[in-house]
Amino acid sequence: MKLDRRTFIEIIVGLSAGAGGGLMATPVNWKLMDDMTIWSQELWPRYQLGGLKGRLPQQGKVTHADSVCNLCPGGCGITVRKVGDRAIKIEGREGYPVNDGGICPLGAAGLQLLYGPWRIPSPLKRIGKRGSGNFEKISWDEAINEVVQKLGNLRQKGQSHTVACILGSDEGTVPRLFDRFLTAYGSPNFIRTASAEDTYELALGLMQGTTGSVGYDLERANFILSFGSGLIEGWGSPVRVIQAHSTWRSGDLKDRATVVQIEPRLSNTAAKADNWHPINPGTEAALALGLAHVIIKESLYNADFIEKHTFGFEDWSDSSGKTYMGFKRLVRTVYTPEAVSKITGLPAKKILTLARAFAKAKRPLAVWGRGKGTVSGSLYECMAVHALNALTGNINKPGGVSARPQVATRSWPEVERDATAWSGSRRPRIDGAGSNRYPLTRYLPDRWSQVMNGGKAGAIQALLVHEADPYYTTLDSAAVAKAFDAIPFVVSFSTCLDETAYHADLILPNHHYLERWEDIPTPVGLQKPILGMLRPVVSPQFDTRYAGDVLMTIAKSMGGSVASAFPWDDYETLLKETMGDKWGTLEKAGYIVNEGYKPSAWSKAFGTPSGKFEFYITAFDQAGVKIGKDVGYLPHYEPVQPEGNPATYPLILIPTELMRLADSAVGNPPFCTKTLEETELKKNDLFVEVNPKTAADYGLSEGHHAMLETAKGKAKVLVHLFEGIMPGVIGIPKGLGHAAYDDYLAGKGVNANSLIGVVEDPVTGLSAAWGVRAKLTRV
Amino acid sequence: MKEVHHKADEHHGAHKKTYKFGMVIDLDKCTGCGACMVACMAENNVPFRKDNSDRLRSNLWMRVYKISNGRPFPDLDISFIPRPCQHCEGSGHHHTPCVSVCPATATDYSHETGIVSQVYTRCFGCRYCMAACPYHVRVFNWWDPTWPKGMEKYLNPDVSVRMRGVVEKCSFCYHRYQRAKNKAYAEGRRELHENEYQTACTQACPAGAITFGDLKNPEHKVYKLKKSRYAFRLLEKLGTNPKVYYVSTRDWVRKAGDAYAGEEPKGVTHVTHA
Amino acid sequence: MNSASAPFDSALFPEGVKRCKFKWFLFWVAVVHGPLMVGVIAMLMCWGLALNVTYLNNNYPFGLWIAADLGIIALGAGAFFTGFLRYIVNIDELKNIVNYAVVIGVVCYAAAQGILGVDIGQPLRGWFIFWHANVHSMLTEVAFCITCYFSVLCIEYLPLILENRQLNKLGFFHGMAHHLHGAMPTIAAVGVFLSFFHQGSLGGVPGVLYGRPFAYREGFLVWPWTFFLFILSAIACGPCFTILCTWITEKCAGKRLVKRNVIDILAKISGRLLVLYLVLKTLDTVYWVVIAEKVGAPLSSFYANQPFGYWVLITELGILGVIPAIILLNAKARQNENILIIACILNCSGIFMNRWIMTVQALAVPVMSFDKFISYRPNWIEYASTLMFVWLGVVVIMLSYRYLPIFPQEKELNPS
Repeated sequence: MKLDRRTFIEIIVGLSAGAGGGLMATPVNWKLMDDMTIWSQELWPRYQLGGLKGRLPQQGKVTHADSVCNLCPGGCGITVRKVGDRAIKIEGREGYPVNDGGICPLGAAGLQLLYGPWRIPSPLKRIGKRGSGNFEKISWDEAINEVVQKLGNLRQKGQSHTVACILGSDEGTVPRLFDRFLTAYGSPNFIRTASAEDTYELALGLMQGTTGSVGYDLERANFILSFGSGLIEGWGSPVRVIQAHSTWRSGDLKDRATVVQIEPRLSNTAAKADNWHPINPGTEAALALGLAHVIIKESLYNADFIEKHTFGFEDWSDSSGKTYMGFKRLVRTVYTPEAVSKITGLPAKKILTLARAFAKAKRPLAVWGRGKGTVSGSLYECMAVHALNALTGNINKPGGVSARPQVATRSWPEVERDATAWSGSRRPRIDGAGSNRYPLTRYLPDRWSQVMNGGKAGAIQALLVHEADPYYTTLDSAAVAKAFDAIPFVVSFSTCLDETAYHADLILPNHHYLERWEDIPTPVGLQKPILGMLRPVVSPQFDTRYAGDVLMTIAKSMGGSVASAFPWDDYETLLKETMGDKWGTLEKAGYIVNEGYKPSAWSKAFGTPSGKFEFYITAFDQAGVKIGKDVGYLPHYEPVQPEGNPATYPLILIPTELMRLADSAVGNPPFCTKTLEETELKKNDLFVEVNPKTAADYGLSEGHHAMLETAKGKAKVLVHLFEGIMPGVIGIPKGLGHAAYDDYLAGKGVNANSLIGVVEDPVTGLSAAWGVRAKLTRV
Repeated sequence: MKEVHHKADEHHGAHKKTYKFGMVIDLDKCTGCGACMVACMAENNVPFRKDNSDRLRSNLWMRVYKISNGRPFPDLDISFIPRPCQHCEGSGHHHTPCVSVCPATATDYSHETGIVSQVYTRCFGCRYCMAACPYHVRVFNWWDPTWPKGMEKYLNPDVSVRMRGVVEKCSFCYHRYQRAKNKAYAEGRRELHENEYQTACTQACPAGAITFGDLKNPEHKVYKLKKSRYAFRLLEKLGTNPKVYYVSTRDWVRKAGDAYAGEEPKGVTHVTHA
Repeated sequence: MNSASAPFDSALFPEGVKRCKFKWFLFWVAVVHGPLMVGVIAMLMCWGLALNVTYLNNNYPFGLWIAADLGIIALGAGAFFTGFLRYIVNIDELKNIVNYAVVIGVVCYAAAQGILGVDIGQPLRGWFIFWHANVHSMLTEVAFCITCYFSVLCIEYLPLILENRQLNKLGFFHGMAHHLHGAMPTIAAVGVFLSFFHQGSLGGVPGVLYGRPFAYREGFLVWPWTFFLFILSAIACGPCFTILCTWITEKCAGKRLVKRNVIDILAKISGRLLVLYLVLKTLDTVYWVVIAEKVGAPLSSFYANQPFGYWVLITELGILGVIPAIILLNAKARQNENILIIACILNCSGIFMNRWIMTVQALAVPVMSFDKFISYRPNWIEYASTLMFVWLGVVVIMLSYRYLPIFPQEKELNPS
């Protein structure tokens, strides 16, 4: 066969095509391609994770560790799923007496706080200007020495009283350690950050003569009348209240509990309520008294309780024969439905219907504390609401109100104070709490900064902050910033770079809540005593130390009576000793609860001067509170005027609180920020809620940028038209506007506290502000 | 096709246990707190970004919708609708909407569990399934997932991390089913207990609003709950046959879900705002 | 231009035709490469930085790319349909335009695949569609048919290349071209079969989405009515696109390339098919209104949100449907080149709009009552990367025109 050029080419082409085709037809190369593609997909994310740089998460055995969450005062039990040494998920602990398996979004995102880049890796010392965020790492010895030196100097100079501590709580071993330190060191200035507890404690103390705050038997109540409490939005112990809400929503329709929400805005709680009554903001007390009027007028109150166990319901005369007005007469004469309707804007008919429904319900319950309960509030308003519980005899009863009980632990030996300690701790408090002006109040967390700015700039020479973020959470941010500037030495014990830490001189990072032991007393709003135990779920991720240990080391370094006030080796020893015989159970089970706890019977329940529930507060005179007028001894409506001139600021701004947005000392983790609605946050701008009618008055539409201005400050915001808010009222979410933390939180929105100032309650000195006057202009 | 499959399932029931996992979500109880969303993200290694405010590109397997009755003040009412993947079964000649359209068989309907799966390593990102799903349960990875340094430590080893260009969605925490099944087999059981396999959102929900179980097992809670006179499913009329049921005593909520498109079951008393 | 100054590459030109100077050719190719390069950058951004660079989102998983894809393939239908008319129906005159129809077809189908490659953002995995094929998916059908048909188009294009004056001098290529020509009716028949299928399956892509009442259609066996409507609309507009491209090429070349009677045949056929399409589409629309109502989606809900108001329906069927149909049916109107071209533009825009509606508007219409309507517009990256393939097509056409015997009548119409 002759092979010419053409045939040769044909053969070559044919063979190549055949070979190529044949190879394509075998599955081998396709399989290889498939594998390669899959590898590429596995490798790429690994690369993204930094797996090639050794950041790939470790595998290991799956285990579970029980602990307690302390991101809010809710004190839920948690179960942490672990793989090897890594904590990979936080879940609600089943069977835990607070939350039985449930968890809130913040708690579920806790690991982002544990492993996040906002953690403080070691003791840090500020370099450069305060607030510039420049810190350098220092050793624990250096850090502690610095504190010892500063505090030692102050003490030597006789200025021990200029040292203050701000904490988020005053219960449990750690807050008590700080308190003890101040006592031994010589300062009266232990300050607890603001919450509705401040006022509730006082109201209960005055009306019932009990100490401590309030507990509600929510689960067994069947008519819940809420005066602006964000029941399902983080009020009280959030998961517990949501679970109670589900109890109210269970069973046949006709058997379900009724929830009524009084609030100028359709919050989630209002939306889920059976009835929502929007009333003029700040007029809650008037409405409560209006309801009392109807209940009394129609004799719907619990006569047995009122007659036998209350004082000051009827008019009464003292030994000298002077007659005093009782609650009944005040309410009957002043708070008629018509008058109350005028104040609150709620039709008189609705007041009548609501009062009857409330009083006739089997187990009615009136609850108080705006939003999540993060502001103190007005004393008389709290008392007016609590009076409704008294009228229905709803105290220390199933489905009622009682004082929040604690599990008893061992007390510590009395502090042996030296002369400096004695003189220092007897000095007046910087915030004025306990002074002649505000003799009843224990802490005035929103007032110390005002006092400092009001001419006492040197009043605090050193400030220690633990589990609190006063720089962020205190009302009137500008005033707080100014006061902070005047404090020469600020020490933060924070685990993460919150606003206070950011503006501190020294950060002594505590172990994260998943890395340490600590006792958690009865959570807020619980009516049964519960003691929970934080326990280390993972080993400390960074060079951190127990705040208790650091504090004791400081005390011991100072020597003398300060040192001897702390006879314990370390914090864990102290904790075990304090728990005493309960330690075994706490270590093993993680908590102690007294499910069978019953509050005292009416006959023994009240520690007031009269031994009864007091509508007329006799303790005012005993304590030396100056009450100007007769009605001042009774729950009554005293308008708390929002700050600002109505002519300049025609609108009312109220803070709103969202379940998905932490607004206290804990910065919102990225997961929670991610769940915010599109009408709450857009890029770095937050939305304020405006009624479409109001918006139309100011030429604003959905999504418009606007300048929100109050007497305290101004901020650029976005407008969200919301039919659920009263015309004339603007709602601004709390929890944004951080400058510290990191890119996942910092720079988003504005801090509502920077727009709202303090309005002092005339009796307690606490902030009674529920809002502020504002104006909104298009930009 | 589908009918044949089901008969086959029953026929072989003795050999292979089959389930029809589904949910009943009580909207009267749901408070819109968002714990389900967070628990889902934590369980399933769902990434997050510095700015997540654009919901159109946000990666949420479980999304809680905030819906309103559209009335003016003070008659406005709001409800929340948590929306996981509906795990549609399809009906009549319709397959599951997304499963039938995926060109690469990257999503499939399991006749063992009734779960609509998503095979991330097979998805090439055509997004046809997203177009097919009327519930917007499917999300695309518009970015590569990244975690700030240190945060990779909480990643769940049971769930793979998805790269950019891949569609993902709620799997009813299928990995939990696998774990539960392995455990049951190891203990010589063929059938899972009701509580043995629960999704992360169900477990987290503080309101106990989500109930999860086998819809065809009369002993499971969901079996009874789905028969409530207040129960409905989203877009029922389309015939997608979802396995997520909702319960609400508010009529406008049910209507918004398109259950009855205006018709009401008889004898229903409505809870309305005064 | 005279023969004395013939371009240096004139030896490569088809027999007896004139072409511009090489430097001018190079200049225009370079000009086209400007926007083409912008498109390349856009494409690389999509692949390198992921699809967040576009304006697509979870509500609009499909956007300009998919709409353009469907539109371009419909426009490319001129290739198979002209082939069908030439080789199977045996309308001999069409041999004078069928080559160009094939070139346009190659360009369109290459563009469609290219756009898909960008759209998925994961071109490395694109072949999963074949490897893990799901036979129930319309997209699988599309992928298989398009790839196969693209191969057919290449085979149809091959003889044109081989017929280049210099290549054709090689005996092997000459013979190959000759044989391929002989096989062309068979190849065309295969192409027609494949094309019918993928045009149809493209219609099936939105038509099967029963979760989207706007797009969903009932149908025949596994094929929704859109399956058939898409075939019909494609063959009704494909010839118009061929006419349009020829006209543009003639304008650029500054001379006639195809005789009017050939154009007229295509225009006439296009017009008749367009009428048929409009009738069926109207019936479909009426029936669609009824079934959509049944699943709780009244017509008004489809057109409740701007920019997708009723004007869309009116424009698509009226302005871009009925008007070109009337023109194309009228012999006199067809004779007027300007009017004919307007009709072609309207017809082609109509098809594009239809594809946009069936993909993008189908996604825009909220399905759940609490879904919010979100508007979408493509960003420059989407435009640039889509247009990149158009510019690429222009280059292919420029090269083909210069060096390949695309227009058999060119010599006759332009005697030297």
